[in-house]
Amino acid sequence: MTTSLRRAAVLGGNRIPFARQFGAYAEASNQDMLTAALDGLVARYHLGGEQVGEVVAGAVIKHSRDFNLTRESVLGSALSPSTPAYDIQQACGTGLEAAILVSNKIKLGQIESGIAGGVDTSSDAPIAVSEKLRKKLLKVNRAKGAKNQLLALTDLRPTDFGIASPGNTEPRTGLSMGEHMAQTAKTWGITREAQDELAVASHRNLAASYERGFQDDLVTSFKGLAKDANLRPDSSMEKLATLKPAFGKGENATMTAGNSTPLTDGASVVLLGSEEWAAAHGLSVQAWFVDAETAGVDFLHGDEGLLMAPAYAVARLLERNGLALQDFDYYEIHEAFASTVLATLKAWEDEDFCKNRLGRTEALGSIDRTKLNVNGSSLAAGHPFAATGGRIVASLAKQLHEKGPGSRGLISICAAGGLGVVAILEGA
Amino acid sequence: MGEPRVETLDSAPGLAPIFVRAALSRTRRLDDAIPPRVLRLEGQRIDRDHLTAYQRLCGFTADDRLPHTYPHVLGFGLQATLLGDPAFPLPMVGLVHVENEITVHRALTADDLLEITVHADNLAPHAKGRTVQLVTEVDVDGARVWEGRSTYLARGKGETDAPSGDRPPAMPSGFPAAQWSLAADLGREYAVVSGDVNPIHLSALTAKPMGFPQAIAHGMWSYARVMAALGRHASGPVTSHVWFRKPILLPSRVDLVVDTTGIPNVAGLRSARRPDVEHLVLTVS
Repeated sequence: MTTSLRRAAVLGGNRIPFARQFGAYAEASNQDMLTAALDGLVARYHLGGEQVGEVVAGAVIKHSRDFNLTRESVLGSALSPSTPAYDIQQACGTGLEAAILVSNKIKLGQIESGIAGGVDTSSDAPIAVSEKLRKKLLKVNRAKGAKNQLLALTDLRPTDFGIASPGNTEPRTGLSMGEHMAQTAKTWGITREAQDELAVASHRNLAASYERGFQDDLVTSFKGLAKDANLRPDSSMEKLATLKPAFGKGENATMTAGNSTPLTDGASVVLLGSEEWAAAHGLSVQAWFVDAETAGVDFLHGDEGLLMAPAYAVARLLERNGLALQDFDYYEIHEAFASTVLATLKAWEDEDFCKNRLGRTEALGSIDRTKLNVNGSSLAAGHPFAATGGRIVASLAKQLHEKGPGSRGLISICAAGGLGVVAILEGA
Repeated sequence: MGEPRVETLDSAPGLAPIFVRAALSRTRRLDDAIPPRVLRLEGQRIDRDHLTAYQRLCGFTADDRLPHTYPHVLGFGLQATLLGDPAFPLPMVGLVHVENEITVHRALTADDLLEITVHADNLAPHAKGRTVQLVTEVDVDGARVWEGRSTYLARGKGETDAPSGDRPPAMPSGFPAAQWSLAADLGREYAVVSGDVNPIHLSALTAKPMGFPQAIAHGMWSYARVMAALGRHASGPVTSHVWFRKPILLPSRVDLVVDTTGIPNVAGLRSARRPDVEHLVLTVS
């Protein structure tokens, strides 16, 4: 379907290790982290002073002063200041969506190269005053003359003074993402054991990838942190079994702090380019950015789970590309929660769901679990919302390059608001 | 001047006691000899929180690289110890920082273990008194990576025909590249980070006895702020040379003016309200 377009290549990536909230990056801003991730990429691929076609990145939680976060990060980086940039935000899909946008412009011939990325901090979060106070303060500011301003000030009540910090809560339901997921986990009968198993595998796979040097050219240390702070190489079923449920209620509560991603800080970026640009810069193509799809689901009235949209997006993406779910060498399913991955896999195996919800004639079927998140995922690495897409794209592209030309990888990322962003990469 | 005596200190000395002692003993014998002392700090690990605080206050990106001017702060305690030595020929209180030169031989990061050495040099006559230079040298693994030369003036009876050293370039003119509002408490904030608690920077009350109507900004802050604003042009292995002119009275609005057309690049700070008042001019090459 994209025969008239040229191909977009994933050439490499860089991220800073992900830190736990209030850890090594407690004093780092989104701009600091994104700039550091960019500079690491620039150093690795010798892009100092280079004008890149476009830099696209974003953060889910952003201070209002950071309206031009990506551009400001570019200006602070070693890239040429003539490199244009813009911000995007699609919740946890931000990083992958940025890569989609950059690859599309490359395919269209509008740019020769681009950097996609994302950053998030849960430590240096913006704090807003209460809505009542905000409105009244604006009124004071609008008032003309000292007398009117004083008059407007008399409107303030002690109860107006409160601060609001951003939470992991859905605006329309008031439920946290974990509470939403707990409902879905229950619907799909996801067991505690299965979730803990997935979490252990994530930690072991990520630890092994560090061990074999796989992360060496994907990660640059920052503020004294050389590895993801959340990584527990010695994680085990026994240890995870001791944790108390964090989401859901009663005996059926299965989601713990061990099989859910913690709040983390971090940034990641991915370098993309046309084949010609890569050759001119002496860079080898790691993977081709083949195609992508997004989906939204109506989670508002319990009709569908908040984090189930990728199940829909993948079905449409496979259909368009004439592929079966089993036609992949690697699957990268973002571990917002272990139960998210397991519910998604179960949905694809479920004939009823695939027929009635996805409009297919049969189930998508099951996948070979040894091909899933082979270098670990968010449960082990952590999940600085917008930074997850870049982490996955760079790591999968490298894994596919190791596998060889024609190998195929599927990325699936769920996001707040009932969104899903998915993509296909092909090894080069 | 006798054989230099190297004294290795365990940690950076606290500065407040040095300033207090210096303030209490303002009478000096006008000796012509600099005590042959060399002060050294070995195995200095970078305190990341301190580094971040410095980067934020001076406008640098808060990353793992040490800003151009940062090692000066690490060595300032040693400078103050030498200047506060009762045998030092110039009185510490009232010294004016008139010039500073820094050469970075290789970019430094927060992982580098620094050896910092400071000695005094070049006691010389000046048109407005006498000057002395404090030399700060930083080594990593035995290799010289950074050096700074700070020139301080003790106002007094000068020699009008004294050699004036390198002449500063003309201040760039034209539109400001940036305009900054410097808060009234900037001196106190920088004092906390740098340890330079000289009373002229802290408040109007403490600055008045020293002849300033208001607190004045630290020269090393404005130097650092300009280097930060120059960004990549002024980072890595470069040499900078700053000439401090009129002090910045706080609070204040200042214009950054830059000329990157020539070699070396020139930048300056002037008053936003009265552009003829020049605060500093510096070159980067």
